[in-house]
Order: sequence, then C-alpha cells, then structure tokens
Amino acid sequence: MLHYDFMQRAFFTGGLIALLASVLGVYLMLRRQALMADMLSHVSLAGVAAGAYLHLNPTLTGFAVAVLGAIVVEYVRRFYKTYSDIAVAIVMVGGLSTAVILMSLNQGINKSFSSYLFGSVVAVNRTEMMLMILVAAVGGLFFTIFRRPLYQIAFDEDTAKASGLPVRPISLCFSILTGMIVAAAMPIVGVLLVSSLMVLPAALAIRIASSFAAALLLSMTFGLVGVFSGLTASYEWSTPPGGTIAFVLLVLWAGGIGVRKAWRKLGKRRPHSRPEAQTPVSSPIPRLAEERSEL
Amino acid sequence: MLLASMQGVRFGYGDVPCLDDADLAIYAGEFVAVTGPNGAAKTTLLKLLLGLLQPWKGEVRLASRNAEGAKLGIGYVPQQIAAFNGGFPSTVLEFVRSGRFARGSWLRQLRPDDHRQTEQALRQMGMWELRHRRIGELSGGQKQRVCIARALAQTPDLLVLDEPTTGMDQESRLGFYDLMRHQVKDRGRTVIMVTHGLSEAEDYLDRTVTLERKEGGGWKCCTTTSCSGHFSPAG
Repeated sequence: MLHYDFMQRAFFTGGLIALLASVLGVYLMLRRQALMADMLSHVSLAGVAAGAYLHLNPTLTGFAVAVLGAIVVEYVRRFYKTYSDIAVAIVMVGGLSTAVILMSLNQGINKSFSSYLFGSVVAVNRTEMMLMILVAAVGGLFFTIFRRPLYQIAFDEDTAKASGLPVRPISLCFSILTGMIVAAAMPIVGVLLVSSLMVLPAALAIRIASSFAAALLLSMTFGLVGVFSGLTASYEWSTPPGGTIAFVLLVLWAGGIGVRKAWRKLGKRRPHSRPEAQTPVSSPIPRLAEERSEL
Repeated sequence: MLLASMQGVRFGYGDVPCLDDADLAIYAGEFVAVTGPNGAAKTTLLKLLLGLLQPWKGEVRLASRNAEGAKLGIGYVPQQIAAFNGGFPSTVLEFVRSGRFARGSWLRQLRPDDHRQTEQALRQMGMWELRHRRIGELSGGQKQRVCIARALAQTPDLLVLDEPTTGMDQESRLGFYDLMRHQVKDRGRTVIMVTHGLSEAEDYLDRTVTLERKEGGGWKCCTTTSCSGHFSPAG
C-alpha cells in the first residue's frame, strides 16, 4: 500500500493533520467550541464553491474563506459571550447557504464536490501537501509558544484577562489557526467529517486523562491511530477515507469509554481499593499559627 | 497608594442600569469586603474595577504598577468558577502551578521558586495532600479552594475574590479569613472580597462596602462607618 505515492502523501499529511487537529480539539472542547470545526468546514465549502465558480484554485479559496469565517465567528462570539454556540450556528448558516447558492449557479462542478464533502486519498496533490506542511509548522509553533496562555484561557477567559493576558488577540489567532487546520484537513477527511478529527480523540482523552499534559498526548495518540487505521481500511475496502476515519475514531471513542467504565466498576469491587479514591478528604484551611510553623 | 477607583460610574444590563453614579476607592494594603443582597451588582462592581466590563458612563481606574514600580499582579477568583469548569482535565498541582504562568515569559522554565510558591499556596488552602487528584474528582468546596490556591500562587498585589467561601465549612472559612488577613498585613497585599458572611469576617476586615437599595430604585454604596445617598467614596 505504501509503495504508492498518493498513499505516502495521504499517510504523511494525515499524520500531520491528526496531530494538530487532536491538540486543537482539546482546546476547542474546553472552550465549549466543539462545533467550531464543523462550522468552519461548512463555511470553507462556500470558498470551494466560490473558487470553482470563479475558476480559481478551490483549495486555496476554501482555505481563505475558512480563515475569514474564523475571524467573523470570533467577533460574533463577543455578542453572545455565554452562548458561543449561537455565533457558530449563525456563521455556519451564512457559509452553508452561500455554498448552496454558488453550487446551484455552477451545475457542472457538482460532481467534483463529492471529494470535498467526503474526502479522498487521491485528492492530496502537491499543492495541498505543501499547504498542510505550512499549516503544521504554524500550528506547531503556535501551540508551543502559547501553550500556557491557552491553558489559562481554556479554563476561564475572565481570570486570564484579569491576570493580564492579551486574551482577545490570542483568541483571534486561535480561531484563525482553527480555520487553517480545518481547511488543510478537508482534502483527506472531507467537509462533512472534518470535525470528527478534532472532537473524537479529544473527547476520549479529556475523559480518561489524569492530567492536562496527558490529555494532549492521549488525544494525539488517538488521532494518529484513528487516521492511520482509517486510511488503511479505506485503501483495503475502497471506502471514502473521511467516513472511514470518522467511523474508526467513533469505534475508538466508544471502546475507550467502555473500557474506562469497566475498569472503574472493577476497581470498586476490589477489596483493597483505596478508600480515599471515592471520597477525597482535604484538611481544613490551617490557621495562621499552624501555617507559620509549617513553612 | 490608590490601587483602584471609580467615579460617577453608570452601568447596567440591557437598558436598565444596576449601578448609577458610583464612586469607590481601594487603597493598597486594605482588606475590603463588598456585601449586599442578591442582585445588588456586587459582581458587576468587581468586574468593572478589573476592566472586564466597560462602564456606560464615568471613569474606572486600576493602577498598572505596584508600589515598587513592577507590573501590578492581579489574582481573580470569579463566583462559582469551580462549579462551572469542574470537568477540566487537570490535576490540582498542574492547575495551581498555572498561577505562576502570569509571572515571566510564556516559554521560560518554571524555577524552584515557582514550585515553592505553588506548594505554599496548596498548603495554605489545605489542599497539598490532594495535589495529584483530578479537579473533577473534588467536591465543590475543594474546587473553590484550588481556585483560590491558584490565585495565591500568583503572589499577586491585588486579590479579587467573588464569594470565595462558597462550599467551605465554618472552620475553613475562619482559616481563610485569617489567611487573607495575613496576606494583607504581613505580605502587603490588597484583598477585595464579595461575601454574604459578613458577621464571620468582620473581625478580619479593614473596611466594608455595602450595597443597599436606594429610595426610588438603584443601589447605594455605604462604608462601615458612613452611608451617603449615592455611592460614597469609600475609606
């Protein structure tokens, strides 16, 4: 399988996107923006349609529109601070309706849209590979430099802002990067299932990880396993890669949750399980005299 | 040193003002409680002081530097923050250590002093033994303590706490007020705290700002010693 050029490209780019999307997914979920990837993929479809209509490179126009959508949603989100999913829904409607109108104006290109909708291994050409490498480099740099501010913002924006973090610019950059990653992942996974790459590995990792660092590592591992297994299955059974990868990730998520539940049930039955595991007890806040003697 | 102030501030939600013509001054080295009935805009007052909300009218000032000329460090614990984000996939230690991120650049390695401050904050809040627990496994009161420990680990000049003792037992509440008093008197910090438990805390406080309903609508602001018709300059 790997002696084919297109499969090598698919594995290479798929691996890059899996790593990036999984890390991004953890932050998206913690910021209650799990649907943002879905929204941006639908918005970028409008860019793809516009590119095809205007005889421009659809990948690049899809990329540009995804980034634009990310900026717009960041601004709309400020009007609905507590209910950020409203902003997501509004921008998604805008993107999808534009895509449908543009597609109806250009009947001849409808067939090629299926590769954008469901993903295609052969769709990853050299331009798209270069685009993914660029996005991976930018994303890797962003997550390394901003890992601490992102952690603080993911927990609570107000406390992060009060402690002096430039929350708005970081948040805007985060949204733009989300748009870039979504657009870069589209050729492999497809518009309709691109969010699965971000949501499913992160959803499982957040549930089972013992720490934040572990959540990021686990999410990346699940993402890689899902993408590589999905691509292999897609090659063997000639199924669309997007749907196959999403299905594998779903099975992985369900299996992981099931194993976790079974493990916890088993732990409860064990006679020597730690009693504090069920009821963690903290000491009262010590009075001043005690604190001084300790420190 | 004047740390934070507001003058003639008007703010509300929708078209209805909840604060009108509000004047307030907070000085460095004070332990101030803000109290009042539900809906009296206590949280709004804190958010305005911190710059998280912009007033419709009037002026809010927050010092950007402390008395030593360094950037003013602010530790903020919002109301029921722990209950809202209880499922955050982080250990107690990891979370409290993040309070140190505010100090220095985002890429620098944490130093022994950062670890020491983290440990001290956790011990002060009685949470050191549970440092390897996931936040989600803790009770509401314990989560609240962890959030306060993170603010303490920041070693801030100004601590802004919105109902920090929610979910704490009485012994811990008294220990907490004692600790805040120590932060103010021995460490030179300033503490502003929204509380409903004024009777328990008043022995530890320097000053109380009480929000009371004005005749004919709106709210007025009273200090422990005086109560004017409008929001009075406190102190």
